[in-house]
Amino acid sequence: MIFEKRTERIFLAVFFVIALCIPLFLEDNSFFVGKTTTVMILAVFVMSLDFLVGRVGLVTLGHALFYGLGGYLFVILTPEYEAVNFWIYAIYIMGISALIALVVGIVVLRTSGIYFIMITLAISQMAYYFFFDSLEFGGNDGLFIFMKPETSIFGLNFLNLDNPTHFYYLSLLGVLITLVAIKVILRSRFGRIVEATRLNPERTEALGYNIFAFRLISYVIGSTLAAYAGLLFALQYGYVNPQFMTWEMSGTALVMSILGGMGTIYGAILGTITYEGLQYFFEHMTEDWMLFMGGAIILMVLLLRKGLAGYLEKLLEK
Amino acid sequence: MSTELFFVQLINGLQYGLLLFLIASGLTLVFGVMGILNLAHGSMYMVGAYLVWYFVAVTGSFTVSAILSAVIALGLGILIERVLIQRLYNRNHLDQVLLTIGMIFVFNSLQSILWGNDPYGVAVPEALSGSVPFTDNSSYPVYRIFAAMVCIAIATALYFIVSKTRLGMLIRAGESNREMVEALGVNIKSLYTIVFAIGVMLAAISGIIAAPMSSIVPGMGESVLITCFVVVVIGGMGSIKGAFVGALLVGVISTFAAVLMPTMSNMIIYIFMILVLLVKPQGLFAK
Repeated sequence: MIFEKRTERIFLAVFFVIALCIPLFLEDNSFFVGKTTTVMILAVFVMSLDFLVGRVGLVTLGHALFYGLGGYLFVILTPEYEAVNFWIYAIYIMGISALIALVVGIVVLRTSGIYFIMITLAISQMAYYFFFDSLEFGGNDGLFIFMKPETSIFGLNFLNLDNPTHFYYLSLLGVLITLVAIKVILRSRFGRIVEATRLNPERTEALGYNIFAFRLISYVIGSTLAAYAGLLFALQYGYVNPQFMTWEMSGTALVMSILGGMGTIYGAILGTITYEGLQYFFEHMTEDWMLFMGGAIILMVLLLRKGLAGYLEKLLEK
Repeated sequence: MSTELFFVQLINGLQYGLLLFLIASGLTLVFGVMGILNLAHGSMYMVGAYLVWYFVAVTGSFTVSAILSAVIALGLGILIERVLIQRLYNRNHLDQVLLTIGMIFVFNSLQSILWGNDPYGVAVPEALSGSVPFTDNSSYPVYRIFAAMVCIAIATALYFIVSKTRLGMLIRAGESNREMVEALGVNIKSLYTIVFAIGVMLAAISGIIAAPMSSIVPGMGESVLITCFVVVVIGGMGSIKGAFVGALLVGVISTFAAVLMPTMSNMIIYIFMILVLLVKPQGLFAK
């Protein structure tokens, strides 16, 4: 069983049952279907960050770089008025993102600790301004996606991405695949060594492991998953712009994952839902929603030592 | 570029760099002594600017407003440290990041509730409103020279306090070994409160000084925060001397970049920072 904790199994069972049924209740409310789709996509992004920060020990404040890259690569690589195959291009884009992450990783992993936070921030700011100041990539307005890709596999076509409900299920599938992939990686021999590099880098190195290589591979994995989330987000809204890459985007994802419970992976889903839910609630309650949002974040840091997942575990584990 | 333009830009860059140093000094001081990365540091800069704008509108005197704002900022710093930061000393660094992000939300919201989202400006105080002739056909505003002087004065005072006074000795001791300082009977808790409050006040003073030179707008704190990160990282986190050198470098480089290569000017300081970290992964003045 890759889901070791009871809390984790209960939460995920409840989550997936509800998530699968949501479109049945919201069939005629496309706004909510769209909103929940965005939450699912963000959950993929936040899980990939949680993997890097909580499990590999790489605190990055530049994760949104790859989120934006996923969107930009799609627009740049695909013809403007022709529907391409989603699966082929998703793999293609993730491959290129992985290569970029490899190069970025070789640079940023030369530093550690607080300097790692800052150099990842600097690289994503650089990319942000690169797209912001460039005319060929649409500057501040970004680029538009005119044709949604088609999703046939071997001639079979289950999903129509123009249909919000279908898009929702594609995003939910993304959550499932990301969750399982990260969990499988963490359970593997590779994952165990990666966690060892976080817990005790000196000892792991003394055992003969090249910790730089393990960190680099993990960085590539996390970044590639983020690019997939960014691709989905760009497709959902039909555009990509530099706002995808802001440090606020990276920061918000970090807030979601810490709120959920750092390193728990399923906590990232919980944190994303809670954050987005609270924001939606406060936004509709008052114009000054940020005051309440900030207050809620501060309260949760003070009261919950290990995030929401930690609180759930205290309730459910014996 | 003519020699004249070169010198004007150089002075602009140095003046901007000095202001950056003033903002960054508080950030690096708090990080160096307390190990806290205060993401809400930029918000304190914003608070300073808005406070001085508000008091100038009420009292009409820039000097009175500046002093009032700085004192309020000091009180705010003590309050924040006592009520919030103090609870997180034994916690994970990420919890501190989360807390200070929450504070950014609160301060931005308070700014919009109290003062709205219109941009404001503070008039340059009359005594400093002239400009000095620079060459035959160019001149330099007196206020900018004054601002640079204030920054230099505060930098000198900071250097003196840290290296020559008892408080400075405790600060340096706290940086290198917190437990030992505590064991020697120093109340490290109040030391931390003082350091954090000084950090907040330095950010606010920068906002006060910058107010007559720039427009006071929502979000001004965040943009300055990121530039400050670049400054302290180039200099070496926690090093005040490093922040000084880093700030002047960033000030001059970004000013010249804006003139020489406008399309790339925003990226230049980040490229510079990455290059510095590749050569010196802990910044120029790493401890």
